[in-house]
Amino acid sequence: MSAVESHYFFPPASAYALNRFLFALKSDTAVRDRYVAQPEATMREHGLDDEARAALVAADRDRLVALGAHPYLVFMAQVRLTMSREPGSFEYF
Amino acid sequence: MPLVAAFALPHTPQLLVRPPTEDRELVLRVHAAYAEVKRRLAAARPDVVGVIAGDHIEGFFLNAVPALAVFVGARAAGEFGRYRYAFDVHEPLARAVVEQGIEAGFDLTYSQDVALDYAFYVPLHFTMPEPRLPIVPLYVNVYLPPQPAPRRCHAWGQALRRILDARPERVALIASGGLSHFPGTDRYGSPDYDFDRALLASLAEGRGVDTARLTGEELDKAGNVELRTWITLLGAVGGARAEVLCYEPSWHHGNAVVAWPV
Repeated sequence: MSAVESHYFFPPASAYALNRFLFALKSDTAVRDRYVAQPEATMREHGLDDEARAALVAADRDRLVALGAHPYLVFMAQVRLTMSREPGSFEYF
Repeated sequence: MPLVAAFALPHTPQLLVRPPTEDRELVLRVHAAYAEVKRRLAAARPDVVGVIAGDHIEGFFLNAVPALAVFVGARAAGEFGRYRYAFDVHEPLARAVVEQGIEAGFDLTYSQDVALDYAFYVPLHFTMPEPRLPIVPLYVNVYLPPQPAPRRCHAWGQALRRILDARPERVALIASGGLSHFPGTDRYGSPDYDFDRALLASLAEGRGVDTARLTGEELDKAGNVELRTWITLLGAVGGARAEVLCYEPSWHHGNAVVAWPV
């Protein structure tokens, strides 16, 4: 099964910094809060290159995945960012 | 002691923390099925709940990607939004599963220090009886390819059952996952609900063993990479006929709650 054919593909080593940052956005509240306040500086601190920073700021899922981002990490990083930015729109059970 | 209860449950976080995109009535119907599982779980009087789940790249990142793992720490803890969870882990059973699993030929990873993923605590949030029971978190890699083959998951479930049957504890097993969904992909809004319905019909006939013949490619195409946790459980429950307590397909996720007589 090649990477382009499966929905969840082997994460290329070239995308490690991007996937590491998405993981932090998803799972590390301090990093997520800092990103919400200062996105550009936070991404630079985590070693994201120009392409990755542009795709992330634009929330361009297709571009992020094309760069090797894990689709699930893109998805849940976005969910957690939305939960941080719009806490009142979620119902806790 | 034989297995005393077996369930498969969804864990999608929208069931716990609902965004406005989700149909509230559908969410509440899944909650009602969870409540029935909670009632049955309490009635089965287990000493421990083994939860077979896939890590959503939460406890394990790309520093280490275990195919099959067991948490053998004292307490398993995680957080989601405002919720904080911590569960006591049944260390004697967890350790026996690792030791005897490895002896049986399954090269399990173990950890005493990973953050608990929502695949574990979302189902437990809704189904953990009072007083709370200790758990054993059992990991199956579902999201980071290459994942374990379905036949391997099924074989591990069979071996797990043999280990549990020789233990003194009364054990309930919960498989957490599924059914069809494609988070983060261009298929997010079009899951394969035909696959789910055919699968549930097959499980209701006691043909769970057929899932061991699925391929990883088939699971990926059907949005059912998480079915590996069910397949592991099916190895443990054998030919028992599944009872489908609910199947609620949302605009992006097939929510299934299933029980097996054991």
